Amino acid sequence: MTDITNAGGRPAQVRVFSILLVASAIFMALLGWSAGAYYVPAMCLVLLAALLWSGRAGGLFKWVLVVNQVAGLVLVLVLWLGDGLGAHKLDVSGAALLVNLLCGGPLASILGVALLPGLRSGKRLATWFGARAA
Amino acid sequence: MNNIGRVILASCVLLSGAGSVAAASFTGKVTLPDGAPAYGAMLTVFSADHAQRETVYTAADGTYAIVTPYSGTLTLRARLANYADATTSLDASQDAVGTADLQLANFADDQAESDALSASAHNAKLQWQQAGDRRAFVSQCNYCHQIGNSTTRAPRSHELWMATITKMEGYFAMVTRAQKILFASVLEQGFDGKPVIAKHDYGATADLARAKIEEWNVGDSFSFIHDMDVAEDGKFYGTDEGHDKLWILDPATGKVETADLPPSGLPRGGTFSGMHLAIGIFTGSHGPHSMGQTSDGRIWITNSLSSTLMSFDPKTRQFKVYPVPGDALYPHTVRVDRNDVVWFTIVASNQLGRFDPKTEQMTVMRLPHNGFFRWVTDMLFPTLLRISSWFPDKVLLLDFTHARFLGYQVAAFPYGIDINPKDGSVWYAKLYANKIGRVDPQTLEVREYDTPMSGPRRPRFDKDGIFWIPSFDEGGLMRFDPATGTFESYKIPGVAPGEYETPYALNVYRPTGDVWLAPNNSDRIVKFTPATKTFQSYPSPTRVTVLRDFSFTKDGKVCSSQSNLPAYAIEGGVPSYLCIDPTGGERDRAALAAVSTPPAVPR
Repeated sequence: MTDITNAGGRPAQVRVFSILLVASAIFMALLGWSAGAYYVPAMCLVLLAALLWSGRAGGLFKWVLVVNQVAGLVLVLVLWLGDGLGAHKLDVSGAALLVNLLCGGPLASILGVALLPGLRSGKRLATWFGARAA
Repeated sequence: MNNIGRVILASCVLLSGAGSVAAASFTGKVTLPDGAPAYGAMLTVFSADHAQRETVYTAADGTYAIVTPYSGTLTLRARLANYADATTSLDASQDAVGTADLQLANFADDQAESDALSASAHNAKLQWQQAGDRRAFVSQCNYCHQIGNSTTRAPRSHELWMATITKMEGYFAMVTRAQKILFASVLEQGFDGKPVIAKHDYGATADLARAKIEEWNVGDSFSFIHDMDVAEDGKFYGTDEGHDKLWILDPATGKVETADLPPSGLPRGGTFSGMHLAIGIFTGSHGPHSMGQTSDGRIWITNSLSSTLMSFDPKTRQFKVYPVPGDALYPHTVRVDRNDVVWFTIVASNQLGRFDPKTEQMTVMRLPHNGFFRWVTDMLFPTLLRISSWFPDKVLLLDFTHARFLGYQVAAFPYGIDINPKDGSVWYAKLYANKIGRVDPQTLEVREYDTPMSGPRRPRFDKDGIFWIPSFDEGGLMRFDPATGTFESYKIPGVAPGEYETPYALNVYRPTGDVWLAPNNSDRIVKFTPATKTFQSYPSPTRVTVLRDFSFTKDGKVCSSQSNLPAYAIEGGVPSYLCIDPTGGERDRAALAAVSTPPAVPR
């Protein structure tokens, strides 16, 4: 696999996703101007962008995205198929929504679909984090 | 004698044992300050305890005649738009006919004249650059009450208006941040405390002079009696959405009783406990809202806050609760079809409920989402409300909802509902999606139509299967023919140029085909006659008249509940039930004319 890097050694994938995470954070912050809860995913997205850009705390970066994905998936499944949970259905979906927002919200979920495969061992992003950690 | 305005009591002759009129009755004339007859003036007689009142309208010659069931020290008041009231008090016994002439006065000053104007005159001062901004304002700020009455037009700074709108958001107003800032600016500039100069014309006619209005105070200053229905036993049942209570009036005796709903087990505010709930007004958790009666006499109540359907047996006074399954939020208007099946809209979760009392089977169906953002609302709103309920009264919902940046149109809001008498189909109106829809009662197949005017609220069918729909946001009336799929639209005439109406509900009196509307912005009831396509106003004797569903008595009276929120803003400070008898004034006139006619001398 060819490793495409810029002059400073930062992979293009890192640069692209960092920019997308920052753009997502700005969008969420704009929503937060009207509805304050959106500041939470905005801050998380900024954190993710910083981690990715700096190549530090790869484990944290990965697990935030994993928790985000799981929470989003639980939310969708519970809203879709969760009537059997009775009165607790909305408690579960509510908790899942809060966790999802805490971990970056829906935009992090979308970006996570593209980011997580690259964080597997030997893949480009994992190498990037590993190299910086070393 | 109480002298407010210039009163001329030309004569007061109380005649005991006056023929067959077993009541304190009055005849007389109301005149303008210059002595000319006052046409279309309201002559109101208050009972001795002021808990009831009856009103007739003067004829072209200024005369009136009214038969009341009252006795004791009674207050008579003459009222006509653009003039100061004239009042007097009389000691009267039943079986007596008195004569009282009253002369209206000019207002003492501009402020007094301004204060007497309906909300429509005051909110006409609000200057909107864009029609869409005004529609959003009407939709969200006139939702539960008038804007421009004495409690809502007080001058406030921009900061205070922002705080007021924030409070209203806690009650469920859905505005964007930009709209909020704009509304606060328009309100700050429009409600400047200066007197409003306007001349109101309610349109005095012979038709008006034939009518009579009866009112009974029901509830207290903190009651929120949403709907009132006339039941088969002739009594009036009103749902106090704030206090989980039914207010039951026997109009024959004037006696008021209450029936308390059983506890729901939910916190105050029910499923909406996370919202901001008006202190003192919302003390319950069921939120009884709308009613329909099945042929076995049971009254079916939608409990908006507890998401339940409830039956009430007027004979045994027993309630029975039926939870609405799923994520149902805010069961709203309920109607009963010809098979005694109960249908109701579920407004905040965009659903429709069907309940068969015979099998006790409930079906909840999802209605079309009407776009991506409404789909998001339908999916996530119940969850957001649950999150809010973990933090009571904190209104956390507002920090999450996309209504904060997209506005109220992110919701569909299936609101009013009715049954087509022609084919039994079920029709609803979506307040925010500007649609009406038909549900096949057998297959539950849905078909929707865009309405030409926005804000379709609580519609009704006439006997020919024509669907009549009030347009809340645009002050109109829409006629929809399901056979052809075509609309006709009518604008409700204002009482002065530049003023608008906010028609909330209507009902069609099927024997005549007349459409009765609650315009709710100008203290009147309006009748639309489809045959002539004309509107007739009936000025309300009570200022701050905000009415909900209309219901008819067996003898053709048109009844509703005074339901401004809060009730203490209504003139007199308490809500009431109100009935218009379109020919009641004419009957009183005939009865008293018969009494005053000397008996024929036998030859």
